[in-house]
Amino acid sequence: MAILTTETTHAIKKEFEHLSGEVRLIHFTKPESLLFVPGAEQGLFKETRQLLEEVAALAPEKIRLEVHDIQEEPELAAGYGVTRAPATVMTGDAVKGRIRFFGIPSGYEFPTLIGGILEISQGATNLSPATREALAELPASVHIQVFVTPT
Amino acid sequence: MALESSQVTADVVEVTEFMELATKYQIRGVPKTVINDSVEFVGAESENNFVSYLKKAAS
Repeated sequence: MAILTTETTHAIKKEFEHLSGEVRLIHFTKPESLLFVPGAEQGLFKETRQLLEEVAALAPEKIRLEVHDIQEEPELAAGYGVTRAPATVMTGDAVKGRIRFFGIPSGYEFPTLIGGILEISQGATNLSPATREALAELPASVHIQVFVTPT
Repeated sequence: MALESSQVTADVVEVTEFMELATKYQIRGVPKTVINDSVEFVGAESENNFVSYLKKAAS
């Protein structure tokens, strides 16, 4: 059963008409396990992957989704600083830093996913000149973590 | 901001899936932003204020 409604699909397809450059979604997941392991992250692996597949399918010529098993490819995950799943690295030619999503980008965070795809593809942000200047003058790297819930 | 600067790593973390992070960062309300594990604030901030927090965290 699809996660995205027909209405949502149509709305996103319309927004994706403005996509320009390619966007890569590098998704790290874990295969479904038949065992319940106490203490292990019982995340929404299957649902997260399905959501990303449905979004990517709305613009397959512009959005490239790669799915990796974090346990099978730990070096690749480490290269992106990913140590937990589900995680999605969002990148493209316009991205100078690093953008990552941990967990399922659903609910209130779904527009963040779609907006992020558009900004990366268009290579444009609405940041003020003063902000751009401040970013250029940062004396050290910054790791911004925004903690959210989907509802 | 991560689009503009190679110095920036920006993460969105769905905290209900990573409860150990909720504990580590004492997440009581969302959104909560933590920068370099040293500067934090809850709720939305203006772009100018956000930049001030970034500068503080990077200093």
